Amino acid sequence: MAEFNTSIKEKGDISIINLKGYLDAHTAPILENNFVDLISKDRYQIVVDFKELAYISSAGLGVFMAFIEKIRENKGDIKLAGMNEKVYNIFDLLGFPLLYEIFKSEDEAIKKYQEIK
Amino acid sequence: MSYINLKDYSDLKLWMFVGAIAILLILRILFHSADSFYFLLANEIIAILSFLILSTYLIGKIRQIKPSSISLVVNIGIINAFVFFVIAFSDYLFNLVFEEITINPNRSEFFKELAHFSYALIFLLIGGYLLIILRELYFLKQQRNVKIYYVLMLVFFLLASVSKSINKDSSLSYLSDPFFVVAVLLMIFNSARISWIAFIEKKEKISLLILSVIILTLFILNLVNSNDQRLHNTILMGFSQSFNHFFYLLQLYGAVYFGFLFFTTLFHIPTAEAYDRKAKEVSSLQYFSKLITQVLDIKELSDTITDIAIKVSSADAAWIVLKENGETTILANKNIAFVDADIINRYLLDSGMCNDLKESMICNLDKYKLKYQLSEKFGSITISPLRSYNQIKGYLIAARKNELIFYEEDKTALNTFSDYASVAMENSLLLEQSIEKERLEKELDVAREIQRKILPASNPVFENLSVSSVFIPAFEVGGDYYDFFEVSENKLGFIIADVSGKGISAAFIMAEIKGIFESLSKLMDSPKEILVKANQILKRTLDKQNFVSALFGIIDQDTDTLSFARAGHCPALLIRDGKIKSFKPSGIGLGLTNSYHFKENLEEYKIILKNNDTVVLYTDGITESKNNNLEDFGDDRFVQLLVSNSDERADAIAQKVISKVTSFSSNHSQYDDITLVILKWNKKNNIVNHGEVPGNDGMEIKNGRIQHLN
Repeated sequence: MAEFNTSIKEKGDISIINLKGYLDAHTAPILENNFVDLISKDRYQIVVDFKELAYISSAGLGVFMAFIEKIRENKGDIKLAGMNEKVYNIFDLLGFPLLYEIFKSEDEAIKKYQEIK
Repeated sequence: MSYINLKDYSDLKLWMFVGAIAILLILRILFHSADSFYFLLANEIIAILSFLILSTYLIGKIRQIKPSSISLVVNIGIINAFVFFVIAFSDYLFNLVFEEITINPNRSEFFKELAHFSYALIFLLIGGYLLIILRELYFLKQQRNVKIYYVLMLVFFLLASVSKSINKDSSLSYLSDPFFVVAVLLMIFNSARISWIAFIEKKEKISLLILSVIILTLFILNLVNSNDQRLHNTILMGFSQSFNHFFYLLQLYGAVYFGFLFFTTLFHIPTAEAYDRKAKEVSSLQYFSKLITQVLDIKELSDTITDIAIKVSSADAAWIVLKENGETTILANKNIAFVDADIINRYLLDSGMCNDLKESMICNLDKYKLKYQLSEKFGSITISPLRSYNQIKGYLIAARKNELIFYEEDKTALNTFSDYASVAMENSLLLEQSIEKERLEKELDVAREIQRKILPASNPVFENLSVSSVFIPAFEVGGDYYDFFEVSENKLGFIIADVSGKGISAAFIMAEIKGIFESLSKLMDSPKEILVKANQILKRTLDKQNFVSALFGIIDQDTDTLSFARAGHCPALLIRDGKIKSFKPSGIGLGLTNSYHFKENLEEYKIILKNNDTVVLYTDGITESKNNNLEDFGDDRFVQLLVSNSDERADAIAQKVISKVTSFSSNHSQYDDITLVILKWNKKNNIVNHGEVPGNDGMEIKNGRIQHLN
């Protein structure tokens, strides 16, 4: 299908993954690799920015589920931010707001991490 | 058997030789001072015969060893050197030995005779050895059948030798010289036929040149030495004149042969490199055919490609870089570490200078600032594009170490080779893809078959409830599932679900879900309880990244009640009196969270159904169907379509919706399964016991709220 890519930036202990394009079964491995990388570097405070994400499929949602347990065991979290309405509805339908903290913007998510400290 | 026979045969020759020598020795001892013609004749014949038998014996031996041309030449050199020293010191040695033993003249005479005989015997052996090595050299790499000339030469050698030995007092003396002349002519003729020089490498040719000069000199020295009045000559003449002449001729032939060999090699040296290259090209042609047979395994193929690249360009290292989705991967690096290959790749590829590479190019790492990071001193690089359909798919890179550089010829060779390699790799990748595609298609066939068998074959039929369902599978099997269960006599259970993932894995999860709900619906009659239990099972059995969205409901025909709970699935829609309501009770998808969390957040709704109520269940395959402009079919279109057709029968509504959705997305491939289930409540004699709930359009809701789509 269409293109998907990610970019990672780091703010102190917090890593921000920016998603762009279409996240589905075919592109999910790209994001999986990002998580594997971050976990291997012991970076567990993660914000995923959905600002530029156009579409997410169930396989895309599965990526978050695959890593959340491990990340939370290490006192980290995946916080989601910047979703457009369509993407939010997909998350909402599945009850993801009950499982993850979802923020309007990347900055709010980062602020949340910093408050806890 | 044949081997044993051959061995016996060769042993026989050896014994014949030993026998002949013994007879010769006995003759000598018995007729010590005889000078008769017949004795001499017998002596000559036996000596020559024993020499010939020895030679044929040695031919058999040397055939088993199959020596190379150079080792044959070296052997001749060693023999000549040996002969040279023996001849040079023969006088001195014999004088030394026999000055010591002069006490008994008779005995000394006997010992002298014995020593002379042994000396001659050594030369008999040397002569035989020389003869067969020269013979081997003569027959080396001969294209035509030239045996006749060689045999002819030997015959004239014999004739010349024998005739010379008996010419003293015979009328045949005039024959000796013509035989000799013919023998020499044949020597020259045969020596000019050297044909094995061209086949050896340049390095060997140079050493051969030096060797042939040395051997030629030795042959000439030995000829001169054996011709003068030394003891050597006397001994051999005493042993057998014919053999002495034969040995002389043999040395002459050797001298002529090596004279020719020297000049032939000399003339071949300038073209040696060209020959080496040709030979390499021919052998790389063989490699190309090897490439064709290895297309089945891309790994093996790339290994072979780098191997051959090193051979055709005399490189020290070679590797392949594949470009895929903007990423480069190193394949089959030979004689170079990954790290080094990576550093060189960065230099070549990141600069963009190879983006439009049309043919092989030679680069130099001298100016590269990261050169010092290389663990080995690679300097000269040749990069060749691997293309398919005019697109660069990767590169074949070869490198040379330690100040050695690539030349134009290497580049040309690599260029030709990389074209072949491109084709082979392209074929290999295509084959791999088509095998993979076939495998996937097979897998999807299986998945579709599983899905088809899992979904209900027909819709249940009831007096008060008409049920219609439409399912359109996506090519990749999207994991949609719906089903109906008989909870109890008048209670119909139904489920609509969407399994995450696609293909065979989704199909297996569907099968599991069918089993779970089939059994749970027999044990419980609360949608919430059933879903909680299902989540408990699925949380344990599903992979972390897999989950299922589901909506489970039960229609109680006795109490006209629809109860349902939603685990992350699309809302249930209810059309009543031309108006549509969307019900989205809270709930998390199955398999996403633990039992407690799941249960806490799961709501169950209850609705009292009225006559003509239409309940619509669907999966996101409908609302996410896309048209040419990648627009979604969307909730609005879907809702309006349902409302405007709400008076129709259940199956008619379903057909209308599906035909609209398919025509909407006709130009775009269907990416997800589409499922639509419509339940229409037709209780004509509806005894409304429950009455209408004011303000809520007759809908009774527990634990929840009504959500409007618009």
